[in-house]
Amino acid sequence: MLKNSIKKRTIKSGMLRDPEMGITPGRKDSTMHNNDITLRTPLRFLESENQDILKEGGFGAILARAGVGKTAFLIQIALDYLLMNRNVLYISLNDPVEKVCLWYEEVYRNISKSWDKKQAKDQWDSLLPYRFIMTFKVEGFTIPILEERLNDLTEQGVFSPHVLVIDGYPFDEPDEKNLSNLKNLVKQRSLKAWFTVRTHRHKEPGPDGMPVSLLTVKDLFDVIIQLQPIGSETHVNILKGATQTEGVPELLLDPATLMVKNKS
Amino acid sequence: MITDTKKVRNIGISAHIDSGKTTLTERILYYTQRIHAIHEIKGKDGVGATMDSMELEKERGITIASAATSCQWKGHEINIIDTPGHVDFTIEVERALRVLDGAVLVLCSVGGVQSQSITVDQQMKRYKVPSVAFINKCDRNGANPFRVIDQLEEKLAHNAIAMQIPIGLEADFSGVVDLIAMKAIYFDGENGETLRYEEIPARLVEEAEDRREQLIDAASMFSNDLTEAVLEETEISDELLYSAIRNGALTRKLTPVFMGSAYKNKGVQPLLDAITLLLPCPADITNEALDLDRDEVPVPLLCDDAKPVVALAFKLEDGQYGQLTYVRVYQGKLAKGDTIYNVRTGKKVKVGRLVRMHADQMEDIEWIPAGFIGALFGIDCASGDTFAARGINLTMTSMFIPEPVISLAISPNDHKSEINMTKALSRFTKEDPTFKAHVNQETGETIISGMGELHIEVYIERMKREYQSNVTTGMPQVAYRETITRKAEFDYIHKKQTGGAGQYGRVAGYLEPVDDEEFVFENQVKGGSIPSQFISACEKSFRNCIRKGPAMEYPVTGIRVVINDGASHSVDSSEMAFQAAARGAFLQGYAKASPVIREPIMKVVVETPTEYQGSVMGSLNQRRGMIVGSQDEGVQSVIEAHVPLAEMFGYSTTLRSLTQGKAQFTMEFSTYKEIPRGIAEELHKKANDKKRDVA
Repeated sequence: MLKNSIKKRTIKSGMLRDPEMGITPGRKDSTMHNNDITLRTPLRFLESENQDILKEGGFGAILARAGVGKTAFLIQIALDYLLMNRNVLYISLNDPVEKVCLWYEEVYRNISKSWDKKQAKDQWDSLLPYRFIMTFKVEGFTIPILEERLNDLTEQGVFSPHVLVIDGYPFDEPDEKNLSNLKNLVKQRSLKAWFTVRTHRHKEPGPDGMPVSLLTVKDLFDVIIQLQPIGSETHVNILKGATQTEGVPELLLDPATLMVKNKS
Repeated sequence: MITDTKKVRNIGISAHIDSGKTTLTERILYYTQRIHAIHEIKGKDGVGATMDSMELEKERGITIASAATSCQWKGHEINIIDTPGHVDFTIEVERALRVLDGAVLVLCSVGGVQSQSITVDQQMKRYKVPSVAFINKCDRNGANPFRVIDQLEEKLAHNAIAMQIPIGLEADFSGVVDLIAMKAIYFDGENGETLRYEEIPARLVEEAEDRREQLIDAASMFSNDLTEAVLEETEISDELLYSAIRNGALTRKLTPVFMGSAYKNKGVQPLLDAITLLLPCPADITNEALDLDRDEVPVPLLCDDAKPVVALAFKLEDGQYGQLTYVRVYQGKLAKGDTIYNVRTGKKVKVGRLVRMHADQMEDIEWIPAGFIGALFGIDCASGDTFAARGINLTMTSMFIPEPVISLAISPNDHKSEINMTKALSRFTKEDPTFKAHVNQETGETIISGMGELHIEVYIERMKREYQSNVTTGMPQVAYRETITRKAEFDYIHKKQTGGAGQYGRVAGYLEPVDDEEFVFENQVKGGSIPSQFISACEKSFRNCIRKGPAMEYPVTGIRVVINDGASHSVDSSEMAFQAAARGAFLQGYAKASPVIREPIMKVVVETPTEYQGSVMGSLNQRRGMIVGSQDEGVQSVIEAHVPLAEMFGYSTTLRSLTQGKAQFTMEFSTYKEIPRGIAEELHKKANDKKRDVA
């Protein structure tokens, strides 16, 4: 068994050196400077007529294989809401609070790297009160517990979320009833929720291109976005519920920063 | 005395408060025969653990000062720095980590990775200190070492791997299975001093084999020979396995985990073996100094006795024979009778008595070789000073020292206390750079400042106990700061003509906010509109102005003053006139530069049973706290918030009553932030009332 695991790892580490996965430099955006905070975050590319693609009570999903950039994409979505002064409750079932904070800082640094330093810092400080991070162990995360925590936050006047962003929900064997309950909770409280969904290379997708993990629960989702690595590029494909803003070229993730960008 | 560098281990024992690190150190000293009896911590038997050399520590059951001590184990010299666990004393931990080559991270098998362990671990990362973990208290109810290993991975991102498995847990904990030798180890004798090796109990064989496989799998990442041995299915020797694990541990990519119960005398000797086998010797670590002759370019130091000496004074202690200075020699050797130089002051120092310390007992030695830790007598220096041989202008990397965030006034109760207070403050400020003392020129009060309430409280108690100095303390004051938020110009003429020589000076320029700097002065005057001999008078005056801000008399920080024009008079201009002009210019510019008051914001981490999560968050919210997040860990939750220091006074009492004493919190300085308008107005009102009272 041990021998096999070491063999597997040797093969895997070889894969990591695949030239296709190599890092290419990110494109510098000249439109962002000082007082011109032009955002290159996912919702700006996907929304239509300044409307959020996800309506109240809606579910959105970001699908990708491990390591492709789901969390980075999700954080970009979260930052987008924060920049619109919407309260975002970020729930991680993978990482501790500190690591989530680091993710936010890293993504924000990439978004704001061409802004004036002071302006970026002030903007960041102004965003923090709109963010709340909660982390759970996967096995400890249930809908009643989430409801209890939401009550704690609102009753104590600590935080009243507009958007839930859930990273690491176990979709490998999704429980339809649980997700329906969660959807009801989201509806009742006039929230919207974004999820990451991990897909697997070895599992064939369904006839409509939907990954197996979502087949039984796809109807609960209003928007589904897939991140698909093809060669050295990661494409952002919209599988359900949204259209790309007109006139905007195809979306990609910059492999170096995992930030969304247009194909150019 | 051992002088072979390869046989030396300079280690620290770092952990959350109450994880049992002092008990562990005590047992280490017992098994290495440095002490001959075991005392309990908290002074229950009136003696106290040997590493707690200060009476106050004995009473509180916590370790405040890092006492360095050395012992020997299987032909190796182990120098141990016992580090404090409370976050208020992290400068001590940081300083200790600076001189260490390796560390033992002690974790409680019940409490697991707690907030302070996270802080200490971050410090270890910063100084790249390789570590092994020891999961203590396996005999306690609720002990679960494998949960702690999971936490090491989840919370601290360590690649933690068990080197042992426990034989029984809680009250049944009787020994450990060594996964390398594949033997059960029991600890016999009155104090667990006799190790008995047995076959692994049948019920644990399968688990032991699985865990050994995991260990080999993890270790094989760091050794091609081991990977080969596994693939070719040849026998894996203990040496090969240890060497692979050591490679992983030295690069901090693998954390070997040991377990036991120091209090029940179990598992300590295998940990000592691990310290000698897995942690680095001084030559394994690259240390760098800064070359003061070459713009502080880092230069590597060689752990070689033959090279010129470079040593760092990392701790000062006031003993019965005078000041004892703990040093770590990085390069060369420090011998009795040598002449060395204090790089900071340039003063020549003759090395007198040299000792090796064993808590508060000492052993005279002739020299301290490269890589070793020892102590010098009768040397006047401050903590953090570098000593070097003649002609060597190197300084060890300066440590990051945070500014104090809280201060309070103290006044001695009688004449004797007054004399002793001065002595005590002079000692404490030398020992601990985060503790400061000064006399307020206006009120004549002595003001002490530090990193938190507990930090200051401990020094006041030490004053009482060690120096018999009784003092009355005032209310704690938060170290507010003033700053400006936008650029503003000034153009001020100071003119006085009252008979005799007049005064004339004009100063023009601007003020602007600056990040990461306290004060910057720039002279851009061209064509001599302010004669060069008066520029320094202007700078001096600006510096005076920022000591007491115009708005609320708090120090002004984050400000850049640029002067670019002015005027003078051939007869009436003088230094005094330009000082007055600069003061006027500063006040003029400052008023236009949107000044604000800033306050220290603390990072507060509360660990609480989950049922109190809501009320704890509420309590932080009420204190103007911004809650960053909460970590739900089943029965326990960890809440992280940023709260103004001014709101944190008395929080321990509030938290105790909210949670029936079941929650605990740690606090450390995070940043300075502008205070809300309402609070600023309140502060203004208080300051005005105070002024009226004084008048």
